[in-house]
Amino acid sequence: MISLPQRETRSLLAIHGWSAVFLGLLLYTVIVTGVASVFGDEIGDWANPIEQPSAQRFPAGLGNALQQFADSVAPELRESFFAFPRSGGRIYAQFHRDEKDANGRPTERGVVVDIDPRTLQMSNRREGDEDAMNDDDTVNALPDFFVNLHVRLHVPEPWGLMLTGVLGLAMLVAAVSGFLLHRHLIRELFTLRRRKKLLSARDAHVVAGSWNLVFSFVLAFTGSFFSFATSFGVPVLAMVAFNGDQQAAFETFVGNPPVNDPRPAPMANLDAMIVDATRRAHAETFFVSVEHWGRADARATISMLPAEGEVFGTTYVYDGPSGAYQYEKPPLGRVPSFGGNLFSLMAPLHFGNFAGVLSKAAWFALGFAAAYVALSGMRLWTQRRIDQPAWRPLAQAVNGIGYGLPLALIVASATYFVARALDADLQPAMMRMFLITLGACLLASWLVRDTARVAQTLLILTGAMLLGLPALRLLCGGPTWAPMFATAQFAVPALDTVLVIGGLACLAGAYRTATRMRRAPQTLALERVTE
Amino acid sequence: MTTVTTLAGDPPQAAPPSRRAFWLRVVLAGPLAFVCATLVMAGGALWLPKGAAQIDNLLLPILLFPAIWATLFFYACLAHSLRRAYLVIAAIGLSQLAMIGIHYFAR
Repeated sequence: MISLPQRETRSLLAIHGWSAVFLGLLLYTVIVTGVASVFGDEIGDWANPIEQPSAQRFPAGLGNALQQFADSVAPELRESFFAFPRSGGRIYAQFHRDEKDANGRPTERGVVVDIDPRTLQMSNRREGDEDAMNDDDTVNALPDFFVNLHVRLHVPEPWGLMLTGVLGLAMLVAAVSGFLLHRHLIRELFTLRRRKKLLSARDAHVVAGSWNLVFSFVLAFTGSFFSFATSFGVPVLAMVAFNGDQQAAFETFVGNPPVNDPRPAPMANLDAMIVDATRRAHAETFFVSVEHWGRADARATISMLPAEGEVFGTTYVYDGPSGAYQYEKPPLGRVPSFGGNLFSLMAPLHFGNFAGVLSKAAWFALGFAAAYVALSGMRLWTQRRIDQPAWRPLAQAVNGIGYGLPLALIVASATYFVARALDADLQPAMMRMFLITLGACLLASWLVRDTARVAQTLLILTGAMLLGLPALRLLCGGPTWAPMFATAQFAVPALDTVLVIGGLACLAGAYRTATRMRRAPQTLALERVTE
Repeated sequence: MTTVTTLAGDPPQAAPPSRRAFWLRVVLAGPLAFVCATLVMAGGALWLPKGAAQIDNLLLPILLFPAIWATLFFYACLAHSLRRAYLVIAAIGLSQLAMIGIHYFAR
C-alpha cells in the first residue's frame, strides 16, 4: 500500500488530471496510431501485397541489381546507401549525400528506387531533395500514414518529434502519478464494482490503468526517448562535445571510425556479404548500408535480425572493394557497452517486436488498453465538470475525438484504396479525408447535446467501415485470399478477418449501449417506486 | 472511502497556496525543470564515464533524459518548500552550466 499525505495526494491528483486536460487528446491520438503501427509491417503487406513474393528478405541476385542502380547514380550522391524490404517484400534502396538547407539544417539529396524481390526490376525512381524522394512513394503509403501520425503528428521536423516527445513526458507523468495515487494497488487490480449491472466508469478506468501501469511507463519512457534523441538530444550533445558537428556525433555513436580514400574502386558484390552474414548470425538480414560506394574506402554494414531465442540482432562490417569480413559490432559503438546495451533495449520495448506476432499482439492489446485508459480518464475528468459551461467544449471534444479518431483512421485507409485505384496522390488524399472526418465528428459532438447518442452513432459508423474495408480492398483491385494463401502472404486474410471481427465488436458495443440507454429510464423509474 | 471522494468531500487541511506561489511552482515544474534536465543531459557528456565503447557518456544522458526530467518535475510539484526547490534545481542547473562553460573555454 502506498501511503501519501493528503497534500501530496491532492497535488498528484491535480497533476494526473491536468496533464490529461492539456495534452490528453493529442496523447490519445499518438497512442491509437501507435497501436495500429505495432502491426505496420503487416498493414503494409495487407494493403499492398505482391504477386510473387520472395522467401528471403534480401533475395539472391539483389547485389547485381543494386550495382546497376549504383551505376545509374551520379558519383557525388553515392556518399551513403541503404536498403531494406517494405510492403510485400519490395526492396527500398536509396543513395544520398548529406547537405544543409538554406537555414543550415541537415538535409539529404539523393535517388530512391523500389526493387521487386522476385524479378529484381527497379521501379518508381525518385530523385532530388528529401521531399522529392518521398513524393510519389506509394509502396508503403498506408503504414507510413499511421507511423507519421504516431511519430510526429504530421508536423514538420523537428517540431513534430519535439511535440511527441513532450506527449511522452506527459504520459510518463500520468503513469507515475497514477501509480502513486493508487493507495491499494493490488486490491484495485481486481476491483470491479457493478452498480445496477453497470460497470462503474471510475473502476473500469482504475482497473485498466492499474494493469497497464508498467506498460504505460515503458511506452512513455521509450517513446519520449525516441522522439527527443534525434530532434533534441543529439544536437545538444553535439554542441557540447563535438563543437556542434552532428555528423561527428553520429559517427561516434555508430562506432565505425571514418576513413578517407577517395580513389575509385569497384564495389564487391553484396550478395556474398549477405550470405556470409546470414551464415555467421543464423538469422536473416535486417538492413544493409554502404558508405562511399565505388570508392577505395567503401564499407558495407549488414545489420541482422535477432537469431531464434535472442532479443538483439548483431551487425557485421565488410570491406567494400574486396568484400572481406572485417568485424562484428553492436548496433552502437565498436564494442559492447552498458549504454549500447541499454539503447538496444529501447526498440524491442517500444515496438514489441521481440517475439514475432505474439509479442506484437500483446503490445497491441496493451496499447489498446492504454488508449482506453487515456480516453476514459478524460471522460471522467470532463463528465465530473459537465455542469460548468467552461468545461463543456472539452467534454464535447473528448467525445468527438475519442470516437471520431478511429473512424477517421479507417476512412483514411479506405481513401488509400480508392485514391490508388484512381491514381491520385495518396498521402494528401488520405490526410484530407482524415481531417474532414475528424472535423465532422467534432462538429457532430458540438451540435448534438446527447453525447451518448453521438458516441453510439460514431461506433456504428466505425463498425460499418471496418466491415466494408476488406470488400473495398477487393473492389479496388486487391487480390482474393486464394493467391495469398498460395504465396504464403497470410497478412491479407489475417487482417481482413481482424477487420471483420473488429467491425462486429463495434456494432455489438453500439447495440449494448442502445439497450442500456433504453433500460436506463425504466431502471430510474423502478428505483423511484422502490424509494 | 476512495481517494477521490476524500479529496472532493473533505475541507482542505491547510490553507490553499496563493496564486503567485501556484504560478511560481508551475514555472519551476514546467520550463525551469526542462531547462535543468537539458543542462544535466548536456553536462553528463562531460562527467559520465565513457565506458568500453567510449560512448556511454553520450548515450546515457540521452537515454535518461525522460527520467531526469520526470524526477525534477515531481520534485518541483511536491516539494513542501518552494524556495528550497528553486534553490536545489538552480544549484543542479548552474553546476552543469559551469562545467559546460569550463569545458568550452578550456578547449
